[in-house]
Amino acid sequence: MTSMSVGTATHPAAGKAPTIAGEKKHTRYIVAAVCIFLIALMLFPVFMSLLASIKTPAEAMAAPPTYLPHALSLDNYFKVYDYQVGLPVYLFNSLAVAFLTIVFCLVLAVPAAYGLARFPVPGKEILFVVLLLGLMIPYQALVTPLYLMFSKIGLSNSLVGLALIHTIVQLPFSVFLLRNSFEAIPKALEEAAVTDGCNSWQTLWRVFLPLVKAGIVTVVLFAFIASWNEFLGALIFMSRESNFTIPIMLVNVRTGQHGAIDWGALQAGVVIAVLPCIAIYVLLQKYYMSGFLSGAVK
Amino acid sequence: MQHVEIENVHKSFGSVEVIKGIDLSVAKGQFCALLGPSGCGKSTLLRMIAGLEAVSSGKVFVNGADVTNTHPAKRQIAMVFQSYALYPHMTVRQNISFSLDVAGRPKPEAAQRTEEVARILQLTDFLDRKPAQLSGGQRQRVAIGRALVRSPEVFLFDEPLSNLDAMLRVQMRFELAKLHEELATTMIYVTHDQIEAMTLASKIVVLDAGTISQVGTPLELYNQPANKFVAGFIGSPQMNFLKGRMETVAGREVRLELAGSGSVAILARGGVEDLKPGELEIGIRPEHIRPCNPGDAEANLSGRVELVEHLGNSTVLYVSTGSGRLVVQRSDDLSIRTGDTIGLAVDASRAHVFGADQRAI
Ligand SMILES: Nc1ncnc2c1ncn2[C@@H]1O[C@H](COP(=O)(O)OP(=O)(O)O)[C@@H](O)[C@H]1O
Ligand SMILES: [Mg+2]
Repeated sequence: MTSMSVGTATHPAAGKAPTIAGEKKHTRYIVAAVCIFLIALMLFPVFMSLLASIKTPAEAMAAPPTYLPHALSLDNYFKVYDYQVGLPVYLFNSLAVAFLTIVFCLVLAVPAAYGLARFPVPGKEILFVVLLLGLMIPYQALVTPLYLMFSKIGLSNSLVGLALIHTIVQLPFSVFLLRNSFEAIPKALEEAAVTDGCNSWQTLWRVFLPLVKAGIVTVVLFAFIASWNEFLGALIFMSRESNFTIPIMLVNVRTGQHGAIDWGALQAGVVIAVLPCIAIYVLLQKYYMSGFLSGAVK
Repeated sequence: MQHVEIENVHKSFGSVEVIKGIDLSVAKGQFCALLGPSGCGKSTLLRMIAGLEAVSSGKVFVNGADVTNTHPAKRQIAMVFQSYALYPHMTVRQNISFSLDVAGRPKPEAAQRTEEVARILQLTDFLDRKPAQLSGGQRQRVAIGRALVRSPEVFLFDEPLSNLDAMLRVQMRFELAKLHEELATTMIYVTHDQIEAMTLASKIVVLDAGTISQVGTPLELYNQPANKFVAGFIGSPQMNFLKGRMETVAGREVRLELAGSGSVAILARGGVEDLKPGELEIGIRPEHIRPCNPGDAEANLSGRVELVEHLGNSTVLYVSTGSGRLVVQRSDDLSIRTGDTIGLAVDASRAHVFGADQRAI
C-alpha cells in the first residue's frame, strides 16, 4: 500500500517501518518470511482452483489429479455459464442480495450506532449488550423460526427476504463497529458543528460520516463477503431455481447430473465466485487509510 | 445592559457544583479574560455562554437578549476551541465557509466572505489544503477564521494558544491583540496563563473554584489584589508571602514583627482601626524587594543567598531568611553571589497585608 494518509505531512517517518535502536536486523527478515509463508498457504488452494478451472473438463476430473494443466481450455467456464438457468441469473441474484444487505445494514446500523455513541439514550449500555447478544446465538438456531415467519409474510423465496436474513446476521457487528468509530470522534468536533449551525442529521451527514469512512467501508466489505458466501439461509429460503445464489449453484454444480463430481466446472464457478470479493477489496482498499482524524485536534 | 451579561449562574455536574453563582458583564468591544487555575470552571463558564452546556440556574444575555435557552448557533457567538476542532476532511476553505454553507447563504457571498477572512488571517495561500497539512499556528488561524466568518457579536476563546510552542504562542498573542484592535468585537478569552490575560485583556476575571475572586484591569489586579489567591496568581515570579505579627497600628500604617527576624511597616488600604494584634500575612512581590547591606538601617530582613539566576534582563535571587525563602528580582545585573549574606529592604508602599480570611487589608 503506497497511498498514505494525509497525516504524512506531519509525520515524516510515517510509511517507513520504524527503526528502533538496538533492534536486530534479522528479526525483520524472519517476520517477512513468516508473512510470505502464510500468504503462500492462503493462496495455494485459490491458485489450484484457478489451474483446475482452465484444464479441459476431462483432465479436471482425472484421478489422480494433475498439477499443471496439460492443455488450456475454457470449456469449464462455458459449462458453468450455461448451467441450469444460467450464470448471469445467479450472479445477479447474489449481487442483488449482497447489495440489499449492504444497504439495509448501513441504513439501520449508521443511525443506531450514531445514537448509541453520541446521544444520552437512557439505558443505552444495556441496549448495546442486548444487541451484541445476537452475535452469540448460533445462526443455525435462528434460521428455522425465521423461515416460518418469513413464509407467513411472503418473504421466503424473495431476494429482499434473503437480504433481510443476511442483514439480521450482520447487524450486531455493524452497529458495534460503527459505534466505536463514532465514539472515536472528538467531542469538540461535534460541538464545532453545533455552533456552526448543524442539527443532528447535518452533523451526522456532513461531519461524522466522512470521518467514519473507514468504519463504513469495513461494514460494507463484511456485509458483502458474508452475504456473498452465505449458504444455509439461501438454501432454506430459496426453493426456486431462478432464485438461487452463487453458493447454492456451486453445490449443485458439484453434485453434477449423474452423481459424478464435475471438478472442472466447480473450480470455474469458484474462480468466478472469488472475483467479486477480490474486486470489492481492491476497490475499497484505498479507504482503509489510517489517520482520517489527523489535523482535527491538536 | 452590557453586551454579554451573566446573572447568578450556577452549574452542577451531578452533585458537584463547579460554578457557584457567577455574575459577570462584558462591555461591547471589550476583551475580557477568564483567568484561573486548571479545574476552576473557566471552560464550563465559557461553554455556558456558548450554549454548549446548559446552566443549572441563572441567566445568560447576549446583546440584550436572554439566550439562556437558545441554541448555540443562534446566540450570535462563535467559539474557538482549545483543540481547534477543525473538520479534517474539509479544506481550509470548506472549514471556514462551513457555517455559511449550513446556513444556506448564497455561494458567491460565502466564497467572497471566506476569501476576505482568509486575507485577514493570512491564510489565502492555504485555502485548498487540509488541516493535517498545516502547522499548529496555521490551524489555530483556521479555527479563528471559522469563527470570524460568521461575524459574531461575541468571540469565545478556550485556551486557544495552549497547544502551541512558546515562540508561536507569543506571536499568536500579538496577532490576536491586533485582530481585536481591528475588529473591536467583544471577546471572552479563557486562559490559565496570567501573562496571556495580562497582555490581551482590558478586563480580567479571576476565578477560584467556581467563584469570582476578583475583577479588574491587569494593573488593578497587579497593584491591588483583593486577596491572597489573586496576589499569588498574578505576577511572575510569584509574590512572596511572609508570616508576621501585628504590633501597632498608626493611621493606616501597620507595623509587623516578622517571624524569625526583622520588622516592617506597611501602609494598609484601610479599615485597620479595629485591627487586633495577631497573626497576619504579608505579601511582597520579588520586584519590590531590594538587596542591601545586612547592617543597613533600611534592611527589614537579612538572609543568605541560596541561588542566583541571571536572566540577562534581570537577576533573580533566592534568599533564605528567618521568615522563610524569599525570591527577589532586580532588573539590574547584581554582583551578589551564592552564599553571600545580604540585607533585604521591602518597598513598604507596594507590600500587601492579608488577614486571617486571606482578604487584603
Ligand atoms: N461534563 C462534565 N461532567 C462532570 N464534571 C465535569 C464536566 N465538565 C467539567 N467537569 C468538572 O468541572 C470542573 C471544572 O472544569 P472546567 O470548566 O473544564 O475547568 P477549567 O476549564 O477551568 O480547567 C472540573 O473539576 C471538571 O472535572
Ligand atoms: Mg478548560
